[in-house]
Amino acid sequence: MKVKAKEKDGIVKAKVLAKHQNIGAEEGLKKKKEANFITSVIAKVGDSIVYEMNGSGFMSKNPLYKFKFKGKKGDELEVTWTDLKGETKTKKAKIK
Amino acid sequence: MMDRRKFLGLGLAAVALVPMTASALDFRKEKPDAWKAEKPADAIKALYGDIKLEEKGVEIKAPKLAENGGKIPVFVKSDIEAKSVAIFQDANPRSAVAVWTVPAGGIIDYGITMKMKGTGKITAIVEGKDGKFYSKVLDIEVSKGGCGG
Repeated sequence: MKVKAKEKDGIVKAKVLAKHQNIGAEEGLKKKKEANFITSVIAKVGDSIVYEMNGSGFMSKNPLYKFKFKGKKGDELEVTWTDLKGETKTKKAKIK
Repeated sequence: MMDRRKFLGLGLAAVALVPMTASALDFRKEKPDAWKAEKPADAIKALYGDIKLEEKGVEIKAPKLAENGGKIPVFVKSDIEAKSVAIFQDANPRSAVAVWTVPAGGIIDYGITMKMKGTGKITAIVEGKDGKFYSKVLDIEVSKGGCGG
C-alpha cells in the first residue's frame, strides 16, 4: 500500500493506492479464484477518523482512493484496509 | 477503595463508548441487503429506506467514454453537510459500489477506481444532515468491460 498526503491551505489531499486483486463474486467464478475484495478503508489522524469507506467487489484491481480532509503538515495519517477474508493492512504517512 | 460495582459500571461505559469513536457505522454489516441488490433503486431502498431524491448539489466526475472498464476513475463531490455518501451503478451484477461515512467536518471529494461490465449509469447519493437525500446520475460508456469478461 502506498499513502501520500499533502497539505495546502489547511486542506490535506490524500492518495491511497492499495495492492489488492479485488475479485468480485462473478469474476471469481470466471477466473476460478476465490472472491475477495477490500470491504473497508479507514484513515485516521491521531484518534479522529478522517475517511471511512465500505466497498464492494466492483472496485478495480489495485484500487486508488483519493480524498480530502482538514489537517496540517507534520501530522501522521494512518490508513487501514480490511478485506472480505478479514486480512488487514495498515500504513502510516506524514502529511507533507 | 473504589466500590466494585461502580468500577464495573465504569468499565462497561468505557466499552460502550469505544465503537462510537472507532467507527460510526459499518455499512457492510449493518445493511447486508444493500450490497446484494441488483438494481440501484433496490439497493438505495435497502440502504436508506423509502426516500425521495433531490437531483441537485451532487457532482460526479468521470470519463464519458471509459476505454477500460476495469479501472474507471470516478469522483463524487458535494458541498452539502452530509452523514453519508453512496455510489451505485447498473452495469454490474450487483449495484452497490461504495458507501462512505462522512466524518464531522468532512469534505466530500471522494475518488475511487471502479469496475464496470459495460455501459451504464452511475448514481451518487448524498445523505444530508438535514435529513434530505441528494443525488446525481451520470451515464458512462464503456468500450471494454472490466469484470474479467
